[in-house]
Amino acid sequence: MREITLSQAVNEAIAEEMRRDPTVFLLGEDVAEAGTPFKVLSGLVEEFGTERVIDTPIAEPGFMGIAVGAAMTGSRPIVDLMFGDFIFLIMDQLCNQAAKTHYMSGGKLSVPLVLRTNMGATRRSAAQHSQSLQALVAHIPGLKVAMPSSAYEAKGLMKTAIRDNNPVVIFEDKLMYQDKAPVPEEEYLIPFGEANIKREGSDITLIATSSMVQVAEKAAAILSKEGIEAEVIDPRTIVPLDEATLIQSVKKTSRAIVIDEGHQSYGVTSEIASRLNEKAFYHLDTPVVRMGAMDVPIPFSPALEDITVPTPERVVEMARKLCSGEMIHAA
Amino acid sequence: MPHDVTMPQLGMAQDAGKIVSWLKAPGDPVTKGDALFEVETDKATMEVEAQASGFLTGVSASEGEDVKVGAVIARISDSADDEGPALEASGPAAPEDTSDALPEGKSVTMPQLGMAQDSGLLVSWQKAPGDVVKADDVLFEVETDKSTMEVEAGTDGYLAATLAEAGENVPVGQAVAIISADKPDAPVHRFVASGGGAAKAAPAAEPEPAKVQPAAPKPTTTKPAVQSSDGRILASPKLRRLAQEQGLDLSRLVEAGHPQPYHVRDLEVLKALPEKSAQATATAAAAAHHLVAKTSGDALPGFARWAADTHGLADTDALIAALAGASLPNIQTVAIERLGTSTTYATPDGCTLSEVTQTDDAPDLILRDLRGTTIRSAGMGTDIVPIITITQRRKGVKLTLDCAADQLDAQAAIQLLTNFAGRVEQPLRHLL
Repeated sequence: MREITLSQAVNEAIAEEMRRDPTVFLLGEDVAEAGTPFKVLSGLVEEFGTERVIDTPIAEPGFMGIAVGAAMTGSRPIVDLMFGDFIFLIMDQLCNQAAKTHYMSGGKLSVPLVLRTNMGATRRSAAQHSQSLQALVAHIPGLKVAMPSSAYEAKGLMKTAIRDNNPVVIFEDKLMYQDKAPVPEEEYLIPFGEANIKREGSDITLIATSSMVQVAEKAAAILSKEGIEAEVIDPRTIVPLDEATLIQSVKKTSRAIVIDEGHQSYGVTSEIASRLNEKAFYHLDTPVVRMGAMDVPIPFSPALEDITVPTPERVVEMARKLCSGEMIHAA
Repeated sequence: MPHDVTMPQLGMAQDAGKIVSWLKAPGDPVTKGDALFEVETDKATMEVEAQASGFLTGVSASEGEDVKVGAVIARISDSADDEGPALEASGPAAPEDTSDALPEGKSVTMPQLGMAQDSGLLVSWQKAPGDVVKADDVLFEVETDKSTMEVEAGTDGYLAATLAEAGENVPVGQAVAIISADKPDAPVHRFVASGGGAAKAAPAAEPEPAKVQPAAPKPTTTKPAVQSSDGRILASPKLRRLAQEQGLDLSRLVEAGHPQPYHVRDLEVLKALPEKSAQATATAAAAAHHLVAKTSGDALPGFARWAADTHGLADTDALIAALAGASLPNIQTVAIERLGTSTTYATPDGCTLSEVTQTDDAPDLILRDLRGTTIRSAGMGTDIVPIITITQRRKGVKLTLDCAADQLDAQAAIQLLTNFAGRVEQPLRHLL
């Protein structure tokens, strides 16, 4: 199978859907000629023109509001938010308007909108351009949240998102745009709420999102050499969450580490760990451990930034402790 | 020491920058921090500052020219007339040590893989020196913080030189390979570690596997002994469920001295424990004493108030321990258990109320105080020491003594409970 980059996969998904459905259009900062700072959308304005690939001023609340209105009146906008950190600027449009309109209109209106944005640290982009804020939107009922972990997921999830009649937020890891993965030529969609078991194992479950899937897979490879077989699961969408697959795996392995690049406190890892605790308690042989980004603003210093995010080595260390029956937090 | 001036990466996916204008002329003295030239990227025009002081020499890129990121475009030298080696504007910096002749050709450099990483780990070579390569052939694999990526040759030709070894970290922008148009006579193979590629045609060392962890032993049963301070058995929820389903008693692991916390793996240890111990428990249970005393009143609260007001003895539990300890001569330590807490007191024979102190010693007697709870009657069987359970009645309290026959004989058990019940009814007895 051919291999393409995550960036190309997103580009293909959007192009295919724009060809298929004339109501799909793109808007955001630098989406047209510049093709975004990460060059993800290069070539789209040439094919679809400036009517459907719209460069906006640097005014996130404005263009997000435009998109919500357009979605309510029959279009399918894809909003490009240059950095996930800017989500703070569009909270009202996203969380008070897009997320609630279907409910508050008694189902008369829907908001088929895709907000594509990014996350991920270690790019030396400092505290305001490095955050992973998926937990903020996952908290709001009415929003779906997808977190692709490779080019394959990026394409399949994007196409599903565009066809969804509800607002969907997609977080792409900005460090993975050049990562290649096998992506079929033929069309495919990845349904929301279906986790992907990346690797089977019997000793411990590593639940990881987005780029942390790579971290978990590396950790699993190291652990395997030591005789510990880790199961790696990528939920792919955190809303809806494929709880059944996660619980089934934990019932098998009795142990779990949840890894996500958002801040650890009150985060995605906390939510998943809580659900396992509630629904698989009598199958747990060790505490469910969360591994997220340190609860600090992401440092600009490379030396400091690198230690704020989970690494394969730290996952391995924790998995070893759990599997050897060591007390994690002494009673 | 001359300092190379390179095209910086100013944008996120930028691979080249356009030189808008030079702000210094060749030969000009420059001070570190001076603006040297202006660069235009997708979004902005920016001034680039000198990183060293000296004289601007060897300017090889002109205004209006697009220059690749990382390419050397000038030098800052010690003297104004040092022209330095004329460097290709289009080609990235060659390795510093060029004393040994390298084959002619196009350099393939360590790429900056979309992030501000300063070096990349060369994982493996996909081509050997001397191989024919096509532009889109994968030349080598690079590992960065988060991913492993393939780097393509970018040009057709022959792999004339490899300038880094698998397992080495190569700075971004440094040449990793040279691709020549003609078949090389003697392909060159060098290391980064050996000083910018000085060692020539080094023996092809085994590619070092990147960061292999020392194989740790398969988890064993050895683990640090941990014990809960309140005597609760530390066991995982899953083990507790399995033990319950299979009718196994986790306390037997404690008796056997097996270190806590317990996990599912310890189930095997539990099952392997000799049956004898179970039988012994059963026999002991059969030969146990179970005595109940009921008092018509509970004078303890009033007694406690009196002791606190007149003697400053505020610890009610210490008072109760003193009363219980004095109920039988050979009881020296008493543990008072309440919901979730347990405190043990030393009650030496003949000690006064104020002489009772807390201790870490194992108790001779446990007093489980369930007054204040909704439990009205309790017969929870024997424990490791005699145990008296106090429960509330409408008037007075109910005292239940449970002990194994080998802990207290019948006479002693009767004496203990009678004395204690008497003291609960009328604490002044204790003082007499």
